[in-house]
Amino acid sequence: MNRATKLRPSTSEMNYFPDEVIEHIFDFVASHRDRNSISLVNKSWHKIERYSRRQVFIGNCYAISPERLIRRFPCLRSLTLKGKPHFADFNLVPHEWGGFLHPWIDALAKGRVKLEELRLKRMVVSDESLELLSRSFVGFKSLVLVSCDGFTTDGLASIAANCRNLRELDLQENEIDDHRGQWLNCFPDTCTTLVSLNFACLKGEINLSALERLVARSPNLKSLKVNRAVPLDALARLMSCCASQLVDLGVGCYENNEPEPESFAKLLFAIAKCTSLRSLSGFSEVGQLCLTAFIPISANLTSLNLSYAAEIQGNHLIKFVHFCKRLQRLWILDSIGDKGLEVVASSCKELQELRVFPSDLHDEEDNNNTAVTEVGLVAISAGCPKLHSILYFCKQMTNAALITVAKNCPNFIRFRLCILEPNKPDHITSQSLDEGFGAIVQACKGLRRLSVSGLLTDKVFLYIGMYAEQLEMLSIAFAGDTDKGMLDVLNGCKKLRKLEIRDSPFGNAALLADVGKYETMRSLWMSSCEVTLGGCKRLARNAPWLNVEIINENESGRMERNEEDEREKVDRLYLYRTVVGTRKDAPPCVTIL
Amino acid sequence: MESCPRNRETCPKLLDLIPRGRKWHQEEKNNTDHEHKLELRLAPPGGDEEDHYAVNKKNIETRNNNIVKEAEDKPIFNGGNHSSASNKTIYTPHISHKRTAPGPVVGWPPVRSFRKNLASTSSSKLGNESSLGGQVNKNSDGEKQVQPKREGMFVKINMDSVLIGRKIDLNAYNSYKQLSFAVDKLFRGLLAAQRENSGGEGEEKPIINSLDGKGEFTLTYEDNEGDKMLVGDVPWHMFISSVKRLRVIKSSEISSALRFGCSKQQKLRT
Repeated sequence: MNRATKLRPSTSEMNYFPDEVIEHIFDFVASHRDRNSISLVNKSWHKIERYSRRQVFIGNCYAISPERLIRRFPCLRSLTLKGKPHFADFNLVPHEWGGFLHPWIDALAKGRVKLEELRLKRMVVSDESLELLSRSFVGFKSLVLVSCDGFTTDGLASIAANCRNLRELDLQENEIDDHRGQWLNCFPDTCTTLVSLNFACLKGEINLSALERLVARSPNLKSLKVNRAVPLDALARLMSCCASQLVDLGVGCYENNEPEPESFAKLLFAIAKCTSLRSLSGFSEVGQLCLTAFIPISANLTSLNLSYAAEIQGNHLIKFVHFCKRLQRLWILDSIGDKGLEVVASSCKELQELRVFPSDLHDEEDNNNTAVTEVGLVAISAGCPKLHSILYFCKQMTNAALITVAKNCPNFIRFRLCILEPNKPDHITSQSLDEGFGAIVQACKGLRRLSVSGLLTDKVFLYIGMYAEQLEMLSIAFAGDTDKGMLDVLNGCKKLRKLEIRDSPFGNAALLADVGKYETMRSLWMSSCEVTLGGCKRLARNAPWLNVEIINENESGRMERNEEDEREKVDRLYLYRTVVGTRKDAPPCVTIL
Repeated sequence: MESCPRNRETCPKLLDLIPRGRKWHQEEKNNTDHEHKLELRLAPPGGDEEDHYAVNKKNIETRNNNIVKEAEDKPIFNGGNHSSASNKTIYTPHISHKRTAPGPVVGWPPVRSFRKNLASTSSSKLGNESSLGGQVNKNSDGEKQVQPKREGMFVKINMDSVLIGRKIDLNAYNSYKQLSFAVDKLFRGLLAAQRENSGGEGEEKPIINSLDGKGEFTLTYEDNEGDKMLVGDVPWHMFISSVKRLRVIKSSEISSALRFGCSKQQKLRT
């Protein structure tokens, strides 16, 4: 909501208040978008807002430089940075593309910013950056790394050793080189402030006694997610330490064969004490026995992530989920099957967010007869009235099902459907899925994020352009027929911020039709489409405030590009608005036009 | 070795791999002896082969993407004389697409490597008959390894452009050379049959040379962390302990396969 436009000229009266009062009022405005709006009202408000801003969110680390950030917000305490484009998650972006953290830490340290929190997504983080971070900010409290890479457990050791007031160390799905050192030992005995510790993504062994001592001296520990190197009996001991305050637990352990009865009994005993537990995850190398151990507290759970529980058979997943009556968030594998989703639909009436991941991508013989289909999706939509967010990987879909889902759930904010086979039509009528997705965008007036799949023509994009008024992010793969599809989206979706397209026949005409549109968006990704080098060059010429990056196939491509035929199709294009021009850290495989 | 349809002696070996009574399709309509009909036949199209498999999209579940896309084109056991209907014994009917994505597509489905590795580790555990019975040991690196039992370590092996994969017992070999030779033998017949259909030569020549990369094909494998690796880098016993499945790829595909599949992870390890 843009509050600036709602204010009338009489706001000048507010300026008779001392700045501190205005600042105090601003304190109640937390959303960064609202704060951005506030800063646009007048110079005075801009200045007050600047100095009082504590949290800054930067969706693209190359849109602005760290120096400019610090100049504008010298008092910032919390910074969120995102680096690589989303498709980097699927190996479409070269490893060395960019998104380096170091310049930011360097600038923040030099600017003597009193940084307390750092949240990073898809950034390249080095041990040196982590070391510098740990030494530069005395009050540093919280480090959250999601899908980052480039560092080792040595970097974690620096954080552990030097951040005296560390409250949160949350590592989600990062690629960390595990030196299997003693990083947990590096937490000094004086460190008692931990509230959240998540190292589930680490692959190697850890020092169990160091972990136990750390947990024992952390009376505020609410969230603990361990990796697979923590066996059942150690987990039971850990849980006993902090059972009463534990809100969030991540389980994962080597399980040799059956757990020993004694360890298992200890685990059961510990679980019984976890009366505050609301969120459960992990189970990546754990069998069903360990899951059933949690049934006694399952009725309290609001969040359950079993999407790594590849060892647990569908029927056991179903049995467990059946007990989770208060569940709001469920991440699960498709081994739960349509039948399992029907159980979810009848048991989990509070469900708001569902993600169903594919369990066996290598199953070429298709032994997996329990993967999910449109039946499960319809069941969920019918049974869960509060559902607003879904990510669904399935083998097949129909228009009829999508139309039913749209009718049942007009409240979707996020709707991401991934039919595993590209270009797959409605499996009953053999038609495209345009009508199904059309129904979704028409019914779900608040839809902000959409991913489409299956056989789709230009028509679906006509619908999206027409109806998806709140759409901010759209992901397209193997869809569309002509440039008109992309044009309809760009012209129709006024709030579009991120558009990512792969393997679709959109070309220069769509790319160049409205260059100004890209200033209103964060970024555009196009790979294996029809845009040519000539088209991209023209775009770059007409829009100097855009970085137009061409990611080449061969890594040494840069010199050759000048002689390339302008009619040559571009393999990967990534463009984004920026106020700081061409970045200097691009590797050879990236050409910035 | 001649191409399969003509040489009845070699092809029964392939037939033996298909367990009797295995359900290839969902409920048959009015078939008392559907098991009999599920058998692969080498005989020319008989009356009882042509009726029910032709096209019944509602009853037949889509299976392997590759099988579906290529079903119309090159059924392996078709010597070229049979009608395509008779070869629907194992293939599902072709579903028309506009743009067929060829083979394994980079970055599709859009699932993070973390999850792909998980799925492959699990499926190889659950699907692999003998390695399940092996002891789970931790080596000095702290990484989990499954020591194969002595009686047979079967892993799946697929080959580019061949629809049906095989299983191969790695315990039967002691060196890469033996493995290479065995793999070559395994696929030669299938490949020759396909080549013959597409009008190519059905020659008998070594098609795989994994060790010096000179052959048309190269042997790769997927290890216990889900990464695709070139066969031959590590000592044989180390290979055995980490291999989960094999894949024979065209040598020309190596650079792109290595880069897109696992460049990120490769680089992290070095």
